[in-house]
Amino acid sequence: MRRPESEPTALVRVVAWLLLGPSVLVAAGLIVKGYAEVGDGFGAGVIVALAIAVNYVAFGTAGAEGALPALRYAPATAIAGLLLAIASGFFSIALGDPPVTHQPRPGEHVIKIGTAELFTPLVFDVGIFLLVVGVLTVLVHQLAHREEDFG
Amino acid sequence: MVFPRDDPPASREDHRGSGLPIDYQGWLACATAVAGFILCLVGWWAGGGAVSLPWAPTLNLRLSAALDGLAVLYALLATGIGALVFAYGSRYLNMHLEHEGRPAAERWRFWPWMTLFAVAMVGLATAQDLVLLFVFFDITAVCSYFLIGFDRAKLETRAAALMALLVTAVSAVAMLVAAVLLYASYGTFSIPELLSRAEPGPVTTIAGALLAVAALAKSAQVPLHFWLPRAMAAPTPVSAYLHSAAMVAAGVLVIARLHPLLSRSQSVLDGLLIVAAASIVVGGVLALRADVLKQVLAYSTIEQYGYMVMLYGIGNAAANGAAAFYVLAHGVAKSALFMAAGAVTMATGEDRLSRLGGLGRRLPVLAVACGVSAASLAALPLTMGFFKDELFFTAAIQGGTLTAVEAVVAAALTFGYIGRFWMGLFLGPPRGEVNRPPAMLVAPVVLLAALSVVGGLFVEPFARLASDAASVSAAQPVLVDPAYHLDARPENLMAVAAWGLGALLLVVFRATDVVSHSLAVAGERLGPRRAYEAALEGLWRVSAALHNLEVRDLRTSIAAVLVPAGVLAGIAFVATPTVGSYELGTVAGTDWLILPLLGLVVIATLTIARSRTRLTVVLALSVVGFALAAIYALIGAPDVALIAVVVETMLTLVFLGALARLPAEGPDSERSSPHRLRNRRRDLIAGTVAGLAMFGIVWGFLSQPSGTTIASEHIRLTPAAHGGDVVTVIVTDFRGLDTLVEITVLLAAVIGVAALMRRGRLW
Repeated sequence: MRRPESEPTALVRVVAWLLLGPSVLVAAGLIVKGYAEVGDGFGAGVIVALAIAVNYVAFGTAGAEGALPALRYAPATAIAGLLLAIASGFFSIALGDPPVTHQPRPGEHVIKIGTAELFTPLVFDVGIFLLVVGVLTVLVHQLAHREEDFG
Repeated sequence: MVFPRDDPPASREDHRGSGLPIDYQGWLACATAVAGFILCLVGWWAGGGAVSLPWAPTLNLRLSAALDGLAVLYALLATGIGALVFAYGSRYLNMHLEHEGRPAAERWRFWPWMTLFAVAMVGLATAQDLVLLFVFFDITAVCSYFLIGFDRAKLETRAAALMALLVTAVSAVAMLVAAVLLYASYGTFSIPELLSRAEPGPVTTIAGALLAVAALAKSAQVPLHFWLPRAMAAPTPVSAYLHSAAMVAAGVLVIARLHPLLSRSQSVLDGLLIVAAASIVVGGVLALRADVLKQVLAYSTIEQYGYMVMLYGIGNAAANGAAAFYVLAHGVAKSALFMAAGAVTMATGEDRLSRLGGLGRRLPVLAVACGVSAASLAALPLTMGFFKDELFFTAAIQGGTLTAVEAVVAAALTFGYIGRFWMGLFLGPPRGEVNRPPAMLVAPVVLLAALSVVGGLFVEPFARLASDAASVSAAQPVLVDPAYHLDARPENLMAVAAWGLGALLLVVFRATDVVSHSLAVAGERLGPRRAYEAALEGLWRVSAALHNLEVRDLRTSIAAVLVPAGVLAGIAFVATPTVGSYELGTVAGTDWLILPLLGLVVIATLTIARSRTRLTVVLALSVVGFALAAIYALIGAPDVALIAVVVETMLTLVFLGALARLPAEGPDSERSSPHRLRNRRRDLIAGTVAGLAMFGIVWGFLSQPSGTTIASEHIRLTPAAHGGDVVTVIVTDFRGLDTLVEITVLLAAVIGVAALMRRGRLW
């Protein structure tokens, strides 16, 4: 994003940087609790992407991507998320069930860790999460990117 | 598109030598066809077999295939002639590509389609399920599209490919409609079950007629014949295959496969007879005058398939046997003739009868082989073709005087045009330069000619093949038993009459030329091809007009979505009873919080409509979004509210980022032009229509929260899905497939953004 004439204040930068950790934590919470309470992978993904976007605003494109080199894996993350979601949806064909049948089946026992239930929709949700984070980060990058900044 | 040439120009020097690269793909296709041929032979010898796998059980669809007599006949044709055509093509394509200056790698655009063509034909021959039949039927259409359009740099080639695809694939829809009709009445797509259950009646008649339309378009019968002569734009191996064992044969195959059903309605059979008569006359007469070699043969195919359709129209056991034998004899002869024409063109560089002649001395082997095949087509004795006409005449006599006369006329026409074809090519004064065609372009012709002669001497195995096939299409045991009889039986007299008339046609060439010419001119002026072109042109115009209307600016693009939606909703309101559907509830509780929020939305919306600065628009939009999110939270949809809040924030950010890239100057200069004012009025109307319709829908929906909806079902089932939060369970489980598609769209959208902004670089 274009650096405005007035730079963001130090406060904005500090808050943006500090928000990253909690955003990931909130996202994890939304995914884990999503099946029992409010929230799901999509919302979690947007929250993390928002935290990343705020960093773009605070530090500028070069600054944010310099400070968070892992961001360049965003396209890979998006594609991995899609593949994970597809895999969790379609592996049931291998078991002879229609696609998007969840395992364990209704009525069967599910292993629980707290409120998190270990079953295929959770994997699907994680896939959505990764895809949303990846896609939105790429989108912000595309809009923020200026050729003269990077050459 | 420009391809790098990977073969050195040096390979041009030797026209037929070893300089050309070996066409491994072609030989692989040939080997596949040979393997298929052997498998089919073994299968026939072993007495056939059937396989049936579940496909879509909820729709009663099965992947069922059976190697019965009919399947064996067509599968042997498709693989046997296929093998020879592919062997021929492996040399022909090399020369063709070299001649056109195209890289050898373009073979990848050819052989996979050829192989798929053969596979689809075998599949079509064995399919025992109407929907499966339709699928294979359409696969052959798609293959033919890519093969006919192989020389894609030429405009007429592309037009020919499109024409073949449109005529055959659009007509094929009739087959699907028929399948659904029959399923609705008899509850099955399985062909054997349908044949046993279907009763004579209107449904069977309509379904039979629809099936016949699809099949006749495929077999290039009048009036849907015009695509076939155009399809000559394809390379010769494609034409040879298309005309003898694939595509055109597919139509007759479908008629044969469903013949017991079609014959339950006399009007369908009569229709077949009429179409056949028209095709015989049009094809035969036009073939008499056509100048381009392959065009003579194309019109001949129309005429010859007219014979077969006529036989199926006669419909008795003898006719079924004759038709099955006819497909075989015609396929062998016609593929040889096509390949001979291709070899001649390769040797001389000419493709017109008027510029060729006297090749007999210089290409003796080809002349003899081509002559035998032509004799087989013209039904001279000592060729397999003689028996095809004997059987044809027998069936025609049984069909009545009219069909008998037609049969003689048809045979005379065939004798006339094929005689003219052969004599024009090989007799007369020598003309032009001739290179010896490579052996690979002659050998398949010789082999097929030899097969015609073998069939003329020992007809028994071929007749047995035809008997087995006819027993399926006639739904009763049929014995095909042709033989030479040296007596004055009607068949022999008809044959002699046909040869005499055919020879007469050759003698009075000038008269036939005038008739043929006037028919060709009439066809050009009034023929069905004109209707096709006018329809295509009209569709194109409508599409272009709609497109122009839609994409003029951003507002028209949005209106193109909103206005039709609003109009459709309006029609729905008119069509459904609305008494009691609209209630005014009372305002209580949280409603007092919702109302001011809605007021805020209204104000923000008006601001968006009135504002002149982009930033205001973006911020007002986000006000609308956040206010709606708050309303969701208040009416007890926390999941939706959460998503709305985070997505709205993201959207606002993205909007701002996009705004930063826009030029600072807006299009304000046009604001006061009359054009602009008119557009504003139009926008107002579009917005009002869409808004009113949406308002009506939402109000109606909120007035009638019905008892058992899909929503309550979702709530009931949520615990079974191990969940507590209905929305999450719907998104990830109940409607997981939808979600999967939606997130795929998300990825596609961001790739689109990348393509627009940074030429597709994602990072």
